[in-house]
Amino acid sequence: MTAIKAMIVDDEDLARHYLREMLSHHGDIEVIAECSNGFEAVKEVSSRRPDLLFLDIQMPKLDGFEVLDLLDPGIAVVFVTAFDSYAIRAFEVHAVDYLLKPFSEKRFEEALSRARLRIGASPAPPAPEATELAAAARPPSEFLCRIVARDGANIHIIPVEKVDYVEAQEDYVLLKTAGKGILKRQTISSLEASLDPDRFVRIHRSLLVNIERIARIEPLKRDSKVVVLRDGTQLPVSRSGLDRLKALLGEEA
Amino acid sequence: MPAAPQRFVLGYAVGWLALAALLIPLFVVSGALSWTEAVLFLIPLTGVYAAVCGSSRYLASSSLLEGNSFARVLFVVVPAVVASGFWTLLAALSAPIAARALPAPDMASRFNAQLPLLFGVGVLVYLLYTAFNELGRQAERSRLAEVRAVEATMMARDAELRALKAQVNPHFLFNSLHSISALTSIDPARARETCILLADFLRSTLGLGDRAAISFGEELDLTRKYLGVEQVRFPGRMEVEESISPDSLDVLVPPLLLQPLFENAVKHGVSTMSSGGWLKIRAGIQDGALLLELDNAYDPEAPVRRGHGVGLSNVRKRLEARYGDAAGITAVPSGSVWTTRLRLPVERKEKA
Repeated sequence: MTAIKAMIVDDEDLARHYLREMLSHHGDIEVIAECSNGFEAVKEVSSRRPDLLFLDIQMPKLDGFEVLDLLDPGIAVVFVTAFDSYAIRAFEVHAVDYLLKPFSEKRFEEALSRARLRIGASPAPPAPEATELAAAARPPSEFLCRIVARDGANIHIIPVEKVDYVEAQEDYVLLKTAGKGILKRQTISSLEASLDPDRFVRIHRSLLVNIERIARIEPLKRDSKVVVLRDGTQLPVSRSGLDRLKALLGEEA
Repeated sequence: MPAAPQRFVLGYAVGWLALAALLIPLFVVSGALSWTEAVLFLIPLTGVYAAVCGSSRYLASSSLLEGNSFARVLFVVVPAVVASGFWTLLAALSAPIAARALPAPDMASRFNAQLPLLFGVGVLVYLLYTAFNELGRQAERSRLAEVRAVEATMMARDAELRALKAQVNPHFLFNSLHSISALTSIDPARARETCILLADFLRSTLGLGDRAAISFGEELDLTRKYLGVEQVRFPGRMEVEESISPDSLDVLVPPLLLQPLFENAVKHGVSTMSSGGWLKIRAGIQDGALLLELDNAYDPEAPVRRGHGVGLSNVRKRLEARYGDAAGITAVPSGSVWTTRLRLPVERKEKA
């Protein structure tokens, strides 16, 4: 039987030490890495591919939700946090388990058993995408301030106000900022749901636009229009997209 | 303004009828008028005076009554003389008309002989009327002041309550307990030490709810205990540097005023940094005010943490409720340093 490869991500030395100590009582688990911030975590996870991740939420650089957002699905995640109850509800639905600091060894064993079941299950039960889990954990009235994306070892942090528009490309979204395009594995609908609807409008099935970038709306042919951005980019607008735009901009559109 | 205008008008009418009832016997006894003449002429005449006084009641309004005593007398007496003079003139002009209407041919001359009496009564009544009005205004003003004072107290109490609720931030507590739990196997002595530090902090905050003010020195001790516990969580990420002027230590401050500021410095500062976090505290007296400056390193690129500004706005509200405009707080970032500046008037315990 091969060992379960586990990783610990927490910015507090003592918290990492505590988990390491708990895990040392289990011969079938090998701690392959420890990380003290979100950047390290994303890099280590993609290069060393652990089976199990113990993940703190409040950390420097990238928080736990953002780390989760950047990971490939299929890793069993156990949250270790002193976080609020609404977030816990989301974990109850999606994560393998969550541990509330401070936790007992008994409670830790329970979480570990659940994780073992998830990892050993074959085929693996349908786990939600990490992105969906991250979205579910966010409080309902709060919108994303920044979007994280990863290509290979590079992590991009894009403040939402820098995004011009978003284009859906199959399982990915292409985030357009100042002429550059950054790909992220996420559906356009789930991204739309996590952004402020007063700022980003779905003008088309595959287009989400930052309303502050719109210069004007021009007629294209009979019965159809295009949105022209400040940099001159022309984007097609669907009929329902035009209605949403009008509702947001007022009738002058 | 009176809350019930109908009751006000009724009281007004009753007052002026009482004046008429006083004037009538006065003019009958002085031999100026017969009973019939007095009733028929003086009741409408008092009504006219009621209107004169009523329309001039804002002339002698409160702002004029706040000068020195000579000016005050002038501002009360001059309108009284003017109003009564005007009234007497009206009476003298209308007496012949009344005399023809009644008819009582010599009534006008009999009445006019007693005009000084009418003038005197007019001045007196006007003065009484002004005094009465002024009393009403004073009562209204003190009632308003009372309402404002009660509101301020309630706001202060409310802020106090919020501060006390926030005093033991649950995250802080849970995270510290978790650190202690981890330390028990690595370094039992350190675990015990941290336990005591945490208990010390909690105990000091508990007694504070009943006190209106504590010395700045005590408040600083409290934050040192708090920072001591946080340093266990963030070893090497939390250098603390203090520069406190000794004359600031006995200044009185509202209890736990500083706590949210230090919590912010840790939550949004130190804990956002992977390494090398620090806090600098400076305090001193300047122009009769206590100045506190708290600098903390922070990572401008760090993920946004919830709850930013709540602690600060609570502190601001408490300062406002207690000191009004005399105190203030600002918090501004500059590069990778966040600076919080607090200023409040110096109050010291009176030496017994």
